[in-house]
Amino acid sequence: MSSHREAPEISQDPVADSTDVYAFVSPDRPGMVTLIANYIPLQEPAGGPNFYEFGDDVLYDINIDNTGDGRPDIIYQFRFTTRTRNEDTFLYNTGPITSLRSGNWNRRQFYTVTRIQHGKAQVLGSGLACPPCNIGPLSTPNYKALAAEAIHTLGDIKVFAGQRAEGFYVDLGSIFDLADLRPFQTLHDQYGFHAFSKNAPGANGTNRLNVHSIAIQVPNWQLTRTRNPSADDPRAVIGVWTSACRQKVRLWDADNGRNVDSGPFRQVSRLGNPLVNEVLIPLGKKDRWNTLAPAEDKYFAEYFAHPGLAGLLPVLYPGVFPKLAGLVKSGQPRADLEAILLTGIPHGIIPGFQNSMGSTLADMLRLNTAIPPAHSPHILGLIGGDAAGFPNGRRVFDDVVTIELRAIAGVTYPLINKSYQPDGAAGLITDGLTPSSVSNGYQHSFPYLGTPYGGYYNPS
Amino acid sequence: MPWDDYLEGSPADAESLAVSQPAMSRRSMLRTTAGAGAASLIAGAALGTAAPAVAAARPAKRARSADSPRPASDEQVVVHVRNARSGEMDVFAGTSQTRLVDPDLAARLVQAAR
Repeated sequence: MSSHREAPEISQDPVADSTDVYAFVSPDRPGMVTLIANYIPLQEPAGGPNFYEFGDDVLYDINIDNTGDGRPDIIYQFRFTTRTRNEDTFLYNTGPITSLRSGNWNRRQFYTVTRIQHGKAQVLGSGLACPPCNIGPLSTPNYKALAAEAIHTLGDIKVFAGQRAEGFYVDLGSIFDLADLRPFQTLHDQYGFHAFSKNAPGANGTNRLNVHSIAIQVPNWQLTRTRNPSADDPRAVIGVWTSACRQKVRLWDADNGRNVDSGPFRQVSRLGNPLVNEVLIPLGKKDRWNTLAPAEDKYFAEYFAHPGLAGLLPVLYPGVFPKLAGLVKSGQPRADLEAILLTGIPHGIIPGFQNSMGSTLADMLRLNTAIPPAHSPHILGLIGGDAAGFPNGRRVFDDVVTIELRAIAGVTYPLINKSYQPDGAAGLITDGLTPSSVSNGYQHSFPYLGTPYGGYYNPS
Repeated sequence: MPWDDYLEGSPADAESLAVSQPAMSRRSMLRTTAGAGAASLIAGAALGTAAPAVAAARPAKRARSADSPRPASDEQVVVHVRNARSGEMDVFAGTSQTRLVDPDLAARLVQAAR
């Protein structure tokens, strides 16, 4: 998955488990950047009576680096507080929830947003209501309107925190089954099992599941080092990642049936580019990676330079990736992946495009804020000729699985070695999904991710 | 509106814009040109029990890190004896952490835990 349950420790702690990060120039408001951090993976919509909610004990950050050192220059910090109206009922709601003030809604959550810059904290808003989870036609009869009520305007900033439809699409079943990608499964080695006699369309493993989103829309100039930089100016670029922190000590207070937390907050989860900790970082280092800032990613550089998956593809698909096999065998570092994921793509590599702030190796989603939204977006982003898409930031519908599969398979290596001719398969490999694989689709305006699936109808 | 094709309720439209992903034969795939220190003991205690023990200990080396001011007196305190032999301990309260080196106190805490 993008970063759902990607490391052993965080897979045991869903409320602090970041799943996806998005950063893009808002298509309906081009002067504004939208940042979204998703948490709590793979929510089954009918998962009550204690429906999903953010952790009151978790400190959620959306971090922005605008100087290129892999450390946050601006932090938007979100803290949540849960309130129960009536502790003498087992119900999440005692009747229809028709507004965020409904007395029928028993278990509500509120939050505070704080902007931290140069060590100074400024509370942008507090007591901001989250929407309820989408339960069903009797409990949350007009969910769209409820969710719209939970979009808060704080001066020229908008914020939203609550449940959304999972917008990240991926064929989990095939990828985790030794990468037997359904559209090409007959080409797979199959270990002699002869399991597949014909190819098949992809199956979206995250469809009809929900996540919890923290979304904020901010004027571009509040994020960049300078106002109105041009697209070829490195100061137009920001690096974005999310992190979640917990206090260092947790003690189960058995006498009172609750956890007691103590000590300073320390990072337990982080996410910038999709699939980095999931696919590139080895199992024994994933938990450590989650505790560090992007500035420390030089210690993981070898896993970007020599990704394990690049070596696996020619083995799993015999004869399909001979040039990739040769590249892996040569031991040449994958400077293309390093540029895409760790430094940004500097001037001179792709005509008219750059999203780099310097040479610091740091896994951040780098967005050139001066590149306007595409009128005809391509889900393959930059490798599809659309400079407004991943890896220039990431839009909610970008097909990051296919983009990264193709990049690892060698499609982007000619960016740094023009004599390299990728395998034909490298430009075709995919898990076979598109935005149409997401049943609830996306929204044309903030917060862009679709209405969460309701429990009554899912599963149906 | 640039994103219309991917919006809620328009899966058919989204499909029309989607990248075609036909099932591939090996031949077609091959011929196509690419386009692109270990914790030793954790002792939890209310301040009322932990504080006297700290007060009774001999002067200890301490280093403090904190995310906020010193905690209020009604907050719980957690002591982590990192190394009983050297007396290295962490004391957690509120959002603070204090590193102590106090072999006597560490020994008494370990004894109390047995």
